[in-house]
Amino acid sequence: MSLLTSLARLRALDEGVAQPIATVRHCHLSARPMVFIPLKLSGEAAAPLAAMLGTDRAAPHLLVVTQPRNRDLRFAWAAELAGLLLPYIEGFLSGTETVERRGADPYERVLDAPQLVVPNPAGVAFTRLLGRSTRFRRPDGPYPVPEGVPVLGRWLTYFAERAAYPGSSLTLAATEELGRHWASGQSGLEDANLAALTGWITDGPSDEAEDPLIWPPAGPATDPGFDAEVLAPAIESGSAERVAEALRGQLEPTWRLMWRAIDLLGALPAGAGVASRWEQDRGSFSGMAAQLAEGAPPQARRDGAIAAASRLARMERAQAAYDVQRAYDDPLVMAEHRLTGEAFAGEVVETDADRVEGEGRSRKLRPLVVIKTDDPVRLAPGTALGTPQRREQGAELMSARDGLVTVKITKGMGRSKTPAPGSVPEVGERVCYTSLTDDFKGSPGLPEAEATPWTHGGPPPEYVPADEDAVEEWS
Amino acid sequence: MSDRLDELERRIDGLRAGVRKAMRVRDTVTARALRAELRGAERAWDSLVGGVPESGPDDQGGPTGRDAGSSRGEESRLVTVREQVHQALTLLGAPAQPRLIVAVGEAFFGGALRSNQLTSLRRDEERSFRASPYGRPYYLCAALTDRLSPARGLLAVSTWPLARRMVGPLSPRVDFLTCAIAVARQLNDDPRAARLLTRMARNIPGGGQGDLGPPDPGRVIEAAAGELAVHAERDTRDRDTLAKRATSQLGDTARLFGAATLSTVARDTITKGGR
Amino acid sequence: MNRLDVLRGTTPQKPHDARAIAALAANPGCTRRALMDGAGIDKDAAARHLGFPAPFGQSPFAITRGNVFEALVKADGCAELLRMLREVLGLPIAEVAYHDVENVGAHLRHAHTRALFDRAARDGLDAGTVYDHPLLSLEIAGHTAYLEPDVVAFQMGGRFHIVEIKSFAVIDGQADPAAVAAAARQAAVYVLALRRLLEELGHDPLRVAHDVVLVCPENFANRPVATLVDVRRQLAVLRRQLSRMTGLDGLVAELPDDLSFDLLPGEDGLPTRPAAELADALRRVTARYAPDCLSTCDLCFFCRDEARQEGASDLLGRQVRDELGGVASVAEALGLADGTRDPAEGQEEIARLLRNAERLRRECLA
Repeated sequence: MSLLTSLARLRALDEGVAQPIATVRHCHLSARPMVFIPLKLSGEAAAPLAAMLGTDRAAPHLLVVTQPRNRDLRFAWAAELAGLLLPYIEGFLSGTETVERRGADPYERVLDAPQLVVPNPAGVAFTRLLGRSTRFRRPDGPYPVPEGVPVLGRWLTYFAERAAYPGSSLTLAATEELGRHWASGQSGLEDANLAALTGWITDGPSDEAEDPLIWPPAGPATDPGFDAEVLAPAIESGSAERVAEALRGQLEPTWRLMWRAIDLLGALPAGAGVASRWEQDRGSFSGMAAQLAEGAPPQARRDGAIAAASRLARMERAQAAYDVQRAYDDPLVMAEHRLTGEAFAGEVVETDADRVEGEGRSRKLRPLVVIKTDDPVRLAPGTALGTPQRREQGAELMSARDGLVTVKITKGMGRSKTPAPGSVPEVGERVCYTSLTDDFKGSPGLPEAEATPWTHGGPPPEYVPADEDAVEEWS
Repeated sequence: MSDRLDELERRIDGLRAGVRKAMRVRDTVTARALRAELRGAERAWDSLVGGVPESGPDDQGGPTGRDAGSSRGEESRLVTVREQVHQALTLLGAPAQPRLIVAVGEAFFGGALRSNQLTSLRRDEERSFRASPYGRPYYLCAALTDRLSPARGLLAVSTWPLARRMVGPLSPRVDFLTCAIAVARQLNDDPRAARLLTRMARNIPGGGQGDLGPPDPGRVIEAAAGELAVHAERDTRDRDTLAKRATSQLGDTARLFGAATLSTVARDTITKGGR
Repeated sequence: MNRLDVLRGTTPQKPHDARAIAALAANPGCTRRALMDGAGIDKDAAARHLGFPAPFGQSPFAITRGNVFEALVKADGCAELLRMLREVLGLPIAEVAYHDVENVGAHLRHAHTRALFDRAARDGLDAGTVYDHPLLSLEIAGHTAYLEPDVVAFQMGGRFHIVEIKSFAVIDGQADPAAVAAAARQAAVYVLALRRLLEELGHDPLRVAHDVVLVCPENFANRPVATLVDVRRQLAVLRRQLSRMTGLDGLVAELPDDLSFDLLPGEDGLPTRPAAELADALRRVTARYAPDCLSTCDLCFFCRDEARQEGASDLLGRQVRDELGGVASVAEALGLADGTRDPAEGQEEIARLLRNAERLRRECLA
């Protein structure tokens, strides 16, 4: 959290309403998101209790395990879930485009991809566990499960993994996305309560958000009072209707909140980088679908050393790129870097557009721009700079003194002897420059999996799911 | 009818909220009253939805529930439970917990025992014994601790030698190994029997063979007997000592069902002396 | 009479269990909490009476699950437990002796536990290996708390190990870190209690291992798996907190004489003291509210409400508080940001940052 966000929180607390900390939306929002609210049985690792899900806010599907300790009913529930989620996911596979790649074969990328929206990070974690507990199952053999369940498990695993990937929008946790765009007047801990956070953004804070009788928890954990007073007697009564109705009552308020959260995010204009990140998501999703179609084995229980290291490196790069993109897309995010002196903004007060350096063949166009700024600049001369106003432009800091910063433009002026029109800012224009740039080191030189050094466990055996995985008890 | 349902649902919601509010402030009196009202409303709702008569035979909420005495149906079920437990214990040949008894009943006698049916068994047997001592050919009774009190959660058969029902420090392990051998000897084609043996075998050094495949009964017997040989001598000695003490200190009832506390031991000893 | 007892008045003392003792270390800077815990006041009852019931509760499903799992671990003469102890401690085959300490009446269990452990530590001969539900004790601010570990395992000629049975799952070698941390804190309480017991009996307290055996279900099956968890750090924190509690006398000495946290329980055990009066009494002792309290302290809603009324920046969490560098109130921080308040000495830097932040926010949101 930056001081800027802290200030926004203070302001929110003082004014009784959440304050924006973004001016554009940084996540992709699907035209047809799949809202998924799972509930689990208290005290169990991954025993599903119910889920409310669907793409139509007026017609949620309710799936209930009416006897949560019954293994068969749990798998029947998973099969029902597969019956709803798989057609939704697979529906996106029909429309594709061919993508050419340098140095590799072209591949087919879907034109649009599915999007799973869960209430909170705990919902993502439970999705991962559901995936883990179903992807190794088999429709045949000693403990058969309904067709579709293992495939569901692989998709749930995939969606949960993508949720951890910075900038990916295939899986969104509502509280996280809201919290990325608004600062409430409460702590981060309390922001994990969807009702409370939405309250801050819309109607103002209310203690009702913490009253489980008014706003049941958004899952996957249920309210202990509900468990004791409503659910346990309903299960004991053996009446499936009663259990279903009880759980519907717990899920419906969250269902409404989820769509409210989606509307809130949808009202913000999309940031410039959203489309390109969604393109990556579409590529990733296409890759996963291709793996499934080729009959690849389910995702391993644990990554090998190389896979883990390269995954970590990928995530770090994605995080850095995501941070930079958000700053370039959103002046309010850039403001955090201006506050720390890694960026500055102001008005152009002087330019030397036709300035050149060098003689003869090495003669280069190097215009100078002087910017007047109120920002505390903490950049050394020679620092490479970029600017959100002209993304192709490259620049270098010459000097910064007394609120005047001189910048030399080094790139992005076209090929002629004078700068292309508009490529150099003019006097009176407001501009922003920053040392943040989106070019990062390539992937670290990690060996292939087969060459994993012995210090890291040696080459991993190729992952072949054992029978043990398929017959593992689910109790 | 749906009007009535709507109204009931509203009432149920209101009552539930009331109960939970009351529970939050620990107002148990109000909670209990509201809960009773709630159960009534829920029953009405169930019957309206499912067309079940409002106070059918399954009604457990009313005051005329299971405490009302033993109908003929219950009596016959009790006998069945009793016999199934006897069969299972006889197969095992050692004191056992309800959980194991249920598993053995399932695996070897196709029974459908549930462990909650076993909770009051020992008490019922004791009552029956007190009413007419030795009126039955056998009783399901207690295993006795080194204080001669009933060991928690263990069932035994009255016709066994007294030492077998004694629990010294090593006895729980010895009994487990004995039971594992018995299960291995009886192993049949029922997958539930194989599962039970697998579960037991993996807790015996050298008895399991990974998690897969049916367990090899010969191997389990050998492994269990191997460990048993380590404990047998001391356990037998401990049990014999305890059995002697039980014989000299306890009256008939306490010898079968255990002395509840130290003071009971004393009283029983006196009773015995007076007899 | 102990001043802490005076503070509690006629309210019966609430016995500490291991979880409560472990929680003592949660917010060591909070005087209100230290005093209430030291005096043994039922904070849960107090919070309810004040109209701020704690947001905690345990689902009956979770409780049942916990009991079922513990029963499974101990079933059939602790067959699963012995397998695991043989695996993680290298217990020899011959060591299987089992003592069900719960077979003894409640009032005798502590004495029985002492006798059993004394015998084990003394000669080891004929000693048990698995002690089921022994009863230990620990002095907390002058009062004895009784503690009941799930199992204590003793290796002949060797060490005592606390065995903690928890029903949260270990999936592919990983468990919820918060759950593991809580289990470790709780187990550390037992380690300390058992060490003090050995010390009292004249044995080497270090014969109680600082590695505790944590038993959890593995993956999605019920099969238990054991892991050794080093609780040295938790032990150090706990010791420090307990020594602070004995040092409460210093705190107590400065309290006004008429201060009382008495709930004045009536015949039905429910508090009869006017809630406003109790609230006033509590407010005379400073609290240190932090959002973390919401998951650890029964009084959290009361203290949060107080922080709100005071406009304290604590409400927003430690991170915000740290970032504000000692500006404690919301109004003060906003005043510095708006420039309507002049920075006090030492606040110049944070004031400059806040003013800059405010300028940037205004510019971007214009």
